[in-house]
Amino acid sequence: MAIKLEKVVEKFYQGLEEGKFLGRKCPACGAVEFPPVYACNSCGNLETEWVEISGKGVMKSIVLPAALSTKPEYRERMKNFAYGEVEIEEGACFNAVVLGINKKKRKEIYENGKLPVPVHAVTLQRDGYKTVVFELDEE
Amino acid sequence: MNQTTTHKYARSVSIIGVGCTPFMYTVDNPETNGLTEGEMYGYAALKAMEDAGITAKDVDFYFHGCASTLNGMNYLTPNVQIANWFGMKGKASIHHSEACCTGYLAIEQAVNAVASGKYNCVLTGCVEFGDSTPSPADNVETPKHPYKRDKMTMEKFLATTSWLYDRTYARAMMAPIELIYDDAAEDYVRTRGISAQEMDDTLNWMAINNRRNAAKNPLAIERTEFADIAKEKGFDDVMDYMRSPYNPKMGDFLRMEGVERKCDGAAACIVCATEMIPEIAKNLNHKPIEVLGVGCSALEATNPHFEIRATEEAVRQVYAQTGVKPEELDLFYANDFIITSHLIAAEIAGYLPWGEGWKYICEGRTAYDGDKPINTNGGRTSFGHAHAASGLADVYEACLQMRGECGERQVKKLPKTTMLRGYGGAQNIAAVLLRTID
Ligand SMILES: [Zn+2]
Repeated sequence: MAIKLEKVVEKFYQGLEEGKFLGRKCPACGAVEFPPVYACNSCGNLETEWVEISGKGVMKSIVLPAALSTKPEYRERMKNFAYGEVEIEEGACFNAVVLGINKKKRKEIYENGKLPVPVHAVTLQRDGYKTVVFELDEE
Repeated sequence: MNQTTTHKYARSVSIIGVGCTPFMYTVDNPETNGLTEGEMYGYAALKAMEDAGITAKDVDFYFHGCASTLNGMNYLTPNVQIANWFGMKGKASIHHSEACCTGYLAIEQAVNAVASGKYNCVLTGCVEFGDSTPSPADNVETPKHPYKRDKMTMEKFLATTSWLYDRTYARAMMAPIELIYDDAAEDYVRTRGISAQEMDDTLNWMAINNRRNAAKNPLAIERTEFADIAKEKGFDDVMDYMRSPYNPKMGDFLRMEGVERKCDGAAACIVCATEMIPEIAKNLNHKPIEVLGVGCSALEATNPHFEIRATEEAVRQVYAQTGVKPEELDLFYANDFIITSHLIAAEIAGYLPWGEGWKYICEGRTAYDGDKPINTNGGRTSFGHAHAASGLADVYEACLQMRGECGERQVKKLPKTTMLRGYGGAQNIAAVLLRTID
């Protein structure tokens, strides 16, 4: 391996167009960076290599959108959704949108002590590109 | 998450002078409408020099901070454009910009410059026009009037706040840019086991306490207490007013009065090598305030609980660097443009006990006249938020409190040790520790 001047961002978004979720894995410690970047933030190794992630994960916190924290585009494209911490099975943690959550659903999740709740990655069309969001797993 | 081991300064550095403008909507008042960047920064800088008993000849270098130079000033090199206003023509300077954390990192930068030994006496100042933009306000490319300004619409402000977030992933993933409003409140409720109603009360009490402090501060932008506003609107109980549509929910937890008052303002400090004070500041007529240390972290908004994790790291660093213990803190400031910050930062710093801080707040113990005062100037919701300048405005207030010069809003016990938790720019964090030199 060698440090390369490489278009990681473009490849990530091209992957989404094909329904693939691409991360980068550290050959030294095995940590996965998602979304993908050059180096390893866990052990400081200077290189990582491409890895396709399964898209399986859990949502660990739930914040519902409100006046300040939403946009007309979001409601149009996503209907019911929430924001929160998602941890994928490969270990990376990040803030993400999870579809299929409204006030009632959140209450159910809380009351049944279901947090962290299983989710899986899906792609969502935005203006000119696809992005990654998550969806509650079917029960 | 990465941690950094920091070390003691090569020599002690102290704040010997502070200056601050009122925080205001300059365009709304004929007396202030038309004030420029050089006048605002210059006023704060000269007041700080006067406070230190020095002249501009005694200052070796200056730092200039502004969060939004293109929007607020139409400048790319704002430190140079104001260089003739405060007697330091030809002296070197640098501009830095860390959004709402700028004013706290302004202290970090200046202290490092003096502690290194290169400079003995440095000015660090910040100016922001958060409420207005050079006229005409249409876009950044059109030629601007020499001094006239237009109001900054909320629409334009919110559109340009996206500049604070990573374009490659954070904006596309949406959640990183939207979690700033409620993430800390959600985390507090979940990890401390309080109810959503208790969190709502706590958020309202923080707004009430901030306003009680600001009511006694002539530099603050909002000076009418909520109890009085409530009465005027026909509410006997201030909490009924705070829970009413007059204070609507803007977030999952956050209400309108828990959000910053964005405005215009400037603030400045003079920092000096402590050993050089007798030589440089012969006319100093108050105690110097030593900067014991500054803990810093930066955590991009894609990372879960960015404010909490980065605050934990900055606080850990500054305690490790200085050997100071949380129980030694007498006074606390938190940049609370989202008011929840005020609660969670004080708990992470150990100024309020973990899981109990919300009770202290609801009992009014964190107002200026309580036993655990926080944001005695009124915080971002009542003192105001002139983004870059807010941190140095907090340092200004902290120094005056530590010198016992705050009059009606002077805290009960003269503070000796103060922590300021800076936050902003999706997200920079600083934990600044100050101590009075006897
Ligand atoms: Zn690694």
